[in-house]
Amino acid sequence: MTKSGYITAGLVVLLAIGSLVYGARAWSIHHVRVWTGRQDLGYVSCNNCHFQRIEKLPWAKPRPRHAAPSGLAISRDGTRIYIALDDLDEVVEGDIATGMITRRVAVAGAPFALALCEEGDRLFVACRNADRVVTLETCGLKEVDSVEVGDAPVAIAFSRTPAGDRLVVANSISDDISVLEAAPLREIVRPQAGREPFAVAISQDGSRAYVANRLAVPETFLCVPASELTVLDPGRGRVLNRAPLISAHLSEGAAAVPGRDWSLVPLVKVRNLIPITQVANGWVMSCGLAIADRQGNITQIPIDEAHDYFADPSGIAVDPAGKRAYLASAGSDIISVVDLDKLEGWLAKADDTTREEAIYDLSLSLEYVVARIPTARNPRQLAMSPDGGTLFVSERLNDSVLMIDTATLEPRGRIVLGDGGLHDPIRRGESVFTKASHTFQRQFSCRSCHPDGHVDGLSYDFDGDGIGDNLLDNRSLQGVAGTKPFKWIGTNPSLEVQCGPRFARVLMRTEPIPPNDLKDLTAYLESLPPTRWEQKHNKPLTPSQERGKEIFFATETADGTPIPRERQCHTCHRPPLFTNRLLSSVGTQGPRDATDMFDTPHLLGIAHSAPYLHDGRAKTLEELWTVYQTNDLHGVSSYMDKHQLNDLIEYLKTL
Amino acid sequence: MTGNDPDNLARVRNRKAEAAHGGGHRKSLRVMAGAFAAVLVSAGCSSGIPEGSIVMTQCPAERAATNEPRDLLDQRYPPGSRVVLLSPPFSAVAVRVLSEGLLAAGNPVVCFTGERVFFAGKKSASDSWQIYESKLNGRRPIVRTSMPGGAMDPAIISSGDLVFSSPVPEAGKTWSTKTPAALYVQVQGEKPRQLTFGTAAAVEPTVLADGRVLFVSARPGGNPMESGAGLFTINNDGTEFTAFALAGQDSLHVRRPREIPGSRIAFLAAMEHGCDKSSVETVLMARPFKSRTSLFPFQTGGVFSVEPESSGTFLVCLDANGCAESPDASLYRIEPGCSVLPPPLFEDRNWRQIEAAQVEPRAKPVGRVSTVVPGKKTGTLLCLDANLTRHRAGNSSPQVKAERVRLVASAGEGTHASLGEVPLEPDGSFIVKVPADVPIGIETLDSQGEVLYRLPPMLWVRPGENRSCVGCHEPYNRSPSNKRPMAVNTAPVTLTITDP
Repeated sequence: MTKSGYITAGLVVLLAIGSLVYGARAWSIHHVRVWTGRQDLGYVSCNNCHFQRIEKLPWAKPRPRHAAPSGLAISRDGTRIYIALDDLDEVVEGDIATGMITRRVAVAGAPFALALCEEGDRLFVACRNADRVVTLETCGLKEVDSVEVGDAPVAIAFSRTPAGDRLVVANSISDDISVLEAAPLREIVRPQAGREPFAVAISQDGSRAYVANRLAVPETFLCVPASELTVLDPGRGRVLNRAPLISAHLSEGAAAVPGRDWSLVPLVKVRNLIPITQVANGWVMSCGLAIADRQGNITQIPIDEAHDYFADPSGIAVDPAGKRAYLASAGSDIISVVDLDKLEGWLAKADDTTREEAIYDLSLSLEYVVARIPTARNPRQLAMSPDGGTLFVSERLNDSVLMIDTATLEPRGRIVLGDGGLHDPIRRGESVFTKASHTFQRQFSCRSCHPDGHVDGLSYDFDGDGIGDNLLDNRSLQGVAGTKPFKWIGTNPSLEVQCGPRFARVLMRTEPIPPNDLKDLTAYLESLPPTRWEQKHNKPLTPSQERGKEIFFATETADGTPIPRERQCHTCHRPPLFTNRLLSSVGTQGPRDATDMFDTPHLLGIAHSAPYLHDGRAKTLEELWTVYQTNDLHGVSSYMDKHQLNDLIEYLKTL
Repeated sequence: MTGNDPDNLARVRNRKAEAAHGGGHRKSLRVMAGAFAAVLVSAGCSSGIPEGSIVMTQCPAERAATNEPRDLLDQRYPPGSRVVLLSPPFSAVAVRVLSEGLLAAGNPVVCFTGERVFFAGKKSASDSWQIYESKLNGRRPIVRTSMPGGAMDPAIISSGDLVFSSPVPEAGKTWSTKTPAALYVQVQGEKPRQLTFGTAAAVEPTVLADGRVLFVSARPGGNPMESGAGLFTINNDGTEFTAFALAGQDSLHVRRPREIPGSRIAFLAAMEHGCDKSSVETVLMARPFKSRTSLFPFQTGGVFSVEPESSGTFLVCLDANGCAESPDASLYRIEPGCSVLPPPLFEDRNWRQIEAAQVEPRAKPVGRVSTVVPGKKTGTLLCLDANLTRHRAGNSSPQVKAERVRLVASAGEGTHASLGEVPLEPDGSFIVKVPADVPIGIETLDSQGEVLYRLPPMLWVRPGENRSCVGCHEPYNRSPSNKRPMAVNTAPVTLTITDP
């Protein structure tokens, strides 16, 4: 063939390829427009709607397990410690004198919290993933009894009452409290708690149980959030008081103070209603302690200092004499020691206004915080030896329990449970996620807004796009893998971008997270399954849920009127992730929103991530259609009656 | 906790884990390279500087007959003053001059790697003071700044860039010079960028571990002899100008603030102008406005400098007789909690030792992604409640409430230009856009237009900065209460300079 022949052939081939590409592109655009019913869309990757397989996602794959300690319990004679290892489905017994593990027992369902009976011969275990409480005999360390409780029990406390021995269990997902008869295990009553009950403490006389709730129940849009301290009579299970912790949440600990009639609850004082123009001076959040007296009066005091913060308060323990409280700051790897005599002295001197304003005074904590004790990574749960001589700290991401001599406030040893797991990028990423040192003055960690990678149920006003503009609901990071782009307006193509320099500028106000840490952080985030995935996955649907499923996938209304494709639920919320990962307008643009196009969120675990919509204005799923629906733009719902709407919501709760 | 240090444990475990999981030659090479680098760093300096070395400023014990000092540094560092390297066993004959070729030098700051030192110096009597850099191996210093009016007080931010104060004030006129000294950052190869824009001088910067620049300035009015010098902070891009400590307290002369162990700030303080009365005081970072105390109660004057060492001790240059003009200024190493002055670590009858700093690698402060938007002409001021003041915190007083605020800008030489008035929202909040990099003053006005509180032009916003405050003269170290300010429900009013 001649040279010009080759050129001609080449040109023909190029033309053919070009035509094919052009034709394929034109076809794909046509295809997208037909199947989404949206003429505004151009080219969209096939992956947006096809080839998504749950089993291929990082969170659906097996991951390394670690000996991360959660709940602790100390034997009555102070010689043995019981440690719950939820990630390994084990409870272990350790010898305090030698720091060695002496026995292990398998307990299925993520054993998370422990409580001993008064005689010390029975150990009660709350299993977070199995929704049950198990009794172990301590002499044989064998399971002898179990009972079903609410969803995701994470705290348990034993109480000897005139009515009999009781267990009070905080069920963090079903938002209720199981009150159990201790032997044999039997649920007596399950009163409603606040949102995410997470810690339980019993008063010295056994007459009251204090349940700290981690999140605020969503209320009116832009109102001041308040979590709840639920006080109940453990004997009868009757709720005595629901004390609001104003503008406070993320309480993960509770303690009753012997001899003072106080209960103490660590808290995050959140300031989500103020534009995030700065971080300094606790502008976004600060940490404190709520002191509730028997009359229900609550004083919030700061634990932070003017230029140093102690992020993510978690467990709390008080010595038997009621002289000192110890508070774990999980994000700062610090135990703060509060002198309760000094605190009482300060409270006695302070007038009502001073007490009310105390939490805002960042220079106050020196009045009562007498020491800060460093720990290894992520101190969470605390336990005190019966004689008050030793404080035990579960260093969750270090796979160890630190023992602190309370006389010298110096460490006296460490019970090593595992290797710390630093070979595992997911574990390293969790360390990054929980570490406050990435933010200015260690003010908060990723976990401070995303407990367990989930939501804090609040909306925030970032200043990067204008003060007062574009309020954003905090989205869950659970089940986030495969759902890019990120951010409500979909501008971040990857988690690395989402959590990278932009984040350092608008929120952390420090340097960006180093690249290797960012990679690990991404691995961790992608490993987070949607809330309660294992419990819901592949479970048979109830008739109501089946009906709801039909509505979700309906192409026509009850009377046979076709539903436009772009308003059919499953067009945008396309299985298996229940998102097509495109921006959509569903008529929710607010007066201060710069756009009406928002990222279509995935719906896995949607039941647990209230509030809803891009700015969090809908406090329940129902409100999406009963209050914030505009001209059937967010799916056609105007034909539904109350029962149909309920069915739809019941189905959504199964996702 | 040393043996159980979690980070060390983590590192060791990480290495073990990596070894267990293989990785081959490349990993080994990387480990070797890392170890080599670590050895270099831990050696303090690749240039062979002995461990425990000290960089020091020496002034001649006998002053040469010269003209009256022109400026502050002429006064502080008379001709012949020099920056030297002193190594153990600290013999007077073994000092190595780092400021060779300069007429005078002083105020050395060692970089994070412990390999270089920055200091102020001048070549000749007619030259201005500039910042010089010298490698500790004794090579001749290189000039790093060329500021009109001179540069002084070097400090180093996380990026390794130099922060300094300029111009050098006339002798005895730090607070009354026409052009007050401001802080600048000098990124190598770029023009220096101004960081502070107040009406009072900004001097003596140091960089805190959290990345902020702490410096000495004056309260509104500009003269600390009248209204008290104070410690202030900015971020390393000049944003978030904030009072840090001492503000509003007794008149005093403040110099050389330094972050020291125990989360404290040490500084030299004197009730009268002049170093001879200076003693070392501290404030706690946890409670900076309510914790002023003496660091060395036994030394009530004559202190020239104090610098922390990594071991927890302090390098202190002082005259044991409490007299600055005495030739006895020597270097001491003082243990924390020490109740009597120990014997000098180093003395030389021919030289007065007036500043000293340890030579060793140290941790970098935290960095920060700048929030300044270059090219923008304005920044935003948001006040949550102009009626919240420390004089009547919590709005519990029945005093008259402000209904409007008037904003003014400094027009130089003590004159103000009006920016305009803005009504307060019912919750006391307001939001305005104001010109960037200009000293702004705020007056709260009652319904009759009477001024309730006045903040003379002293704060500024950087281009694109969103600056917030809890109140006007709000209590120090106060965090805000969680309520959405009504002012943010409307777009901010843009104010511009109208009538000079």
